[in-house]
Amino acid sequence: MTSTSNPPKPIRVWITPPGPNSWKTVFVLEELGINYEFKSFRFDDVKKRPFIDVNPNGRVPAIEDPNTGVTLWESGAINQYLVEVYDTEKRLTHEGLKERHLCNQWLQFQMSGQGPYYGQAGWFQHLHPEKIPSAVERYTKEIRRVLTVLEGVLAAQPADAQWLVGGKMTYADMAFAPWDFRLSEVLMQSWDEVWEGLPHVRAWHERMVGLPSWKRAMEHRARLMDEQGLQWNGVPKGIETFTEYEEKIAKGET
Amino acid sequence: MQRVALLASHLISSSDSTSSKMAETKSDIHLYTAQTPNGIKVSMLLEELGLPYKVTAIELGKNTQKEPWFLEINPNGRIPALTDTLTDGSPIRLFESGSIMQYLVDRYDTEHKLSYPRGTREYYEVNNWLFWQMGGLGPMQGQANHFARYAPEKIKYGIDRYQNETRRLYRVMDDHLKKSKSGYLVGDRCTIADIACWGWVAAGYWAGISLDDFPSLNAWVDKIVARPGSEKGRHVPSRHKALENRHQTEEEKDKAAEETRGWVLQGMQEDAKKK
Repeated sequence: MTSTSNPPKPIRVWITPPGPNSWKTVFVLEELGINYEFKSFRFDDVKKRPFIDVNPNGRVPAIEDPNTGVTLWESGAINQYLVEVYDTEKRLTHEGLKERHLCNQWLQFQMSGQGPYYGQAGWFQHLHPEKIPSAVERYTKEIRRVLTVLEGVLAAQPADAQWLVGGKMTYADMAFAPWDFRLSEVLMQSWDEVWEGLPHVRAWHERMVGLPSWKRAMEHRARLMDEQGLQWNGVPKGIETFTEYEEKIAKGET
Repeated sequence: MQRVALLASHLISSSDSTSSKMAETKSDIHLYTAQTPNGIKVSMLLEELGLPYKVTAIELGKNTQKEPWFLEINPNGRIPALTDTLTDGSPIRLFESGSIMQYLVDRYDTEHKLSYPRGTREYYEVNNWLFWQMGGLGPMQGQANHFARYAPEKIKYGIDRYQNETRRLYRVMDDHLKKSKSGYLVGDRCTIADIACWGWVAAGYWAGISLDDFPSLNAWVDKIVARPGSEKGRHVPSRHKALENRHQTEEEKDKAAEETRGWVLQGMQEDAKKK
């Protein structure tokens, strides 16, 4: 809203609504009040045209910015582009060389350490038809390890500015929220259990998901999920429990 | 590219002035690394840029990366990590190989030998492929290594899942390189995106992936190792053996994995205890 270089033409954001990575980009777009539009499509179509002409890797999100002619994929690369080009007031980033690269470092930790491991945990916990305890254990342990690293780093910051870099929220903090938002589901625990021993991570996460920009992003998500007949957790409507969904997956009915 | 440059002119001008100031300072780079695909990214880049640097070899087998002095540099307890001194004399400590590479070219590659100026289309495309490596190729091939080589029980589904995903990612890269006039991932030159991927693709055999099905990727592996900087940098802190081991049989690979399996699994158990 306060961004000084809002693009005249909307940035097109290609998403499939259920997965977390698209919401990483939408969160930043909403927080900066950047002009954008959704191109929402079904997950079944990520490896098909026209999307693979935009992203040959067949993964969401991807953006096309008609104002610059830039097409990009990989949520981390997209968010850095958005912030560098449109966040001219440096609301969600920093100016100095050191802080800029520390933001980048935490973003890359999110992309290489948080996202892939949470994703694999979610797969083995919920979607894979056969239970493989050692695989579930491998990835849920790694989630705990990542959260413990964040807890130590956040706890060491001044009490009134517990953010990853430079005492304010940046796009690096924001990148963690969409996956952390799914932790209760991925770990199959209550939120109190999820956050046990992690008070600083909990407060940090709750500050972010309490923002109007996050709430708007989640309203868009609910609407776009609804359009595709999906419930909030990605399960088709009419299926009440993950167990039921798992049974249908196992039978090949979905 | 012109329109991008126009729109992002505030970026290009500010970064150019920062870079030229930075270029006058001498480096105080200290790299903490080990002979792994992520570790050699940084030494290959440092050699390509001709920058002086100190090296500390981290002994993963002794869990040196979990010692308090190292966690001060990288609280995540992984290699590589790098320290340097900024122009104002203050220290910077960085981890995550991709972020280290972006720092090095941003500060030191003022002639854009292995990068493009901030704000250009190519700059963002390099980041796109770099992040693809960091969030996709590295983690997925790493899981293939785990299930194919290190996991105490052989779980067929785990091996297949990650080998298939790694093969899919190689296919994406092979198709892209096939269309590239320069033979590199972005534009007319070798960039940090190529170097980031190289150590992983060169070690594909270890995850059980043969490059025979990916001719453009295979040619790209040779093209990069023919560059004197990359060739020198891949042997830091010790000799890089992936290319000479490419044709090992499964039995030979399993035997070699025995040596490292012990400490890989022990490290995982110790991490789990700490929570």
